Amino acid sequence: MAFKIRAATKEDCKEIFRMITELAVFEKMPDQVKISHEELESSGFCENPLFGCLVAEVPEEHKSKEGFTVVGYGLYFYTYSTWRGRALHLEDLYVMPEFRGRGIGKSILSKVAEVAKKMQCARLQLSVLNWNTPSRDFYAAKGAQDLTAAEGWHLIRFDGQSLDNLANDAPKD
Amino acid sequence: MPDQVKISHEELESSGFCENPLFGCLVAEVPEEHKSKEGFTVVGYGLYFYTYSTWRGRALHLEDLYVMPEFRGRGIGKSILSKVAEVAKKMQCARLQLSVLNWNTPSRDFYAAKGAQDLTAAEGWHLIRFDGQSLDNLANDAPKD
Repeated sequence: MAFKIRAATKEDCKEIFRMITELAVFEKMPDQVKISHEELESSGFCENPLFGCLVAEVPEEHKSKEGFTVVGYGLYFYTYSTWRGRALHLEDLYVMPEFRGRGIGKSILSKVAEVAKKMQCARLQLSVLNWNTPSRDFYAAKGAQDLTAAEGWHLIRFDGQSLDNLANDAPKD
Repeated sequence: MPDQVKISHEELESSGFCENPLFGCLVAEVPEEHKSKEGFTVVGYGLYFYTYSTWRGRALHLEDLYVMPEFRGRGIGKSILSKVAEVAKKMQCARLQLSVLNWNTPSRDFYAAKGAQDLTAAEGWHLIRFDGQSLDNLANDAPKD
């Protein structure tokens, strides 16, 4: 089946938002999506976008059961390593279940890697859940290192009350 | 990992102090009379950049938090972290995230005491990296437009 990986446009945001919620359900955290598709539009399609996004599109004759032709996405942003300089973080990589097993996910990942190289990024990083064995195997097969397993890196988060408390403790200027 | 630093200070200048900087940075400074043994008055830093959560919107990632050993135990690290949190709030970030090594018990305890969650321990998140040859191979596999 033919498919195309291309840069997302503002008009794709409704579809990307639909798939963001599908991915949250897959990650067993369906209530965690607090943004709206309008916020995606304003954050991603403005003068200084907060992220970049690629979408996977199939022709009309291969649309999904519900009639969608945008069937996967890869959303990323740039980060900075004080050891290596500019890097890229792939925040979400998703293909609708109906379209898996055809190389769409691999193509999105490779296209994001191409973006990373064009932008002179030294690294492409992402996070994966430890129980998500198919994804972990997918990345390992492509030569990625699991830095949590290999070096012991842990991801730490402050949000809600803990973030407010921290900010309130800041010394006054 | 002392051999891992491949950038120069000139690159820091061009990346951080341009029209669209790749990072923000706070420094901790002491007065001249309290300078370090080698004569430094800038004794700590916190370097951060903005990220995007598809669940919560703009967030902040604290890439480095460091205080020279001679100046630890005086609240400098806590103050840098709190000031970065203040920046996060001002910029309407829903989250402040960072990475810590599992053997770095003082740091892990420091963050836990401040109310942070360890998402690797609690939810199983692992950090994955492509670089060097693996990144080149991946890019070379991309479908041609």
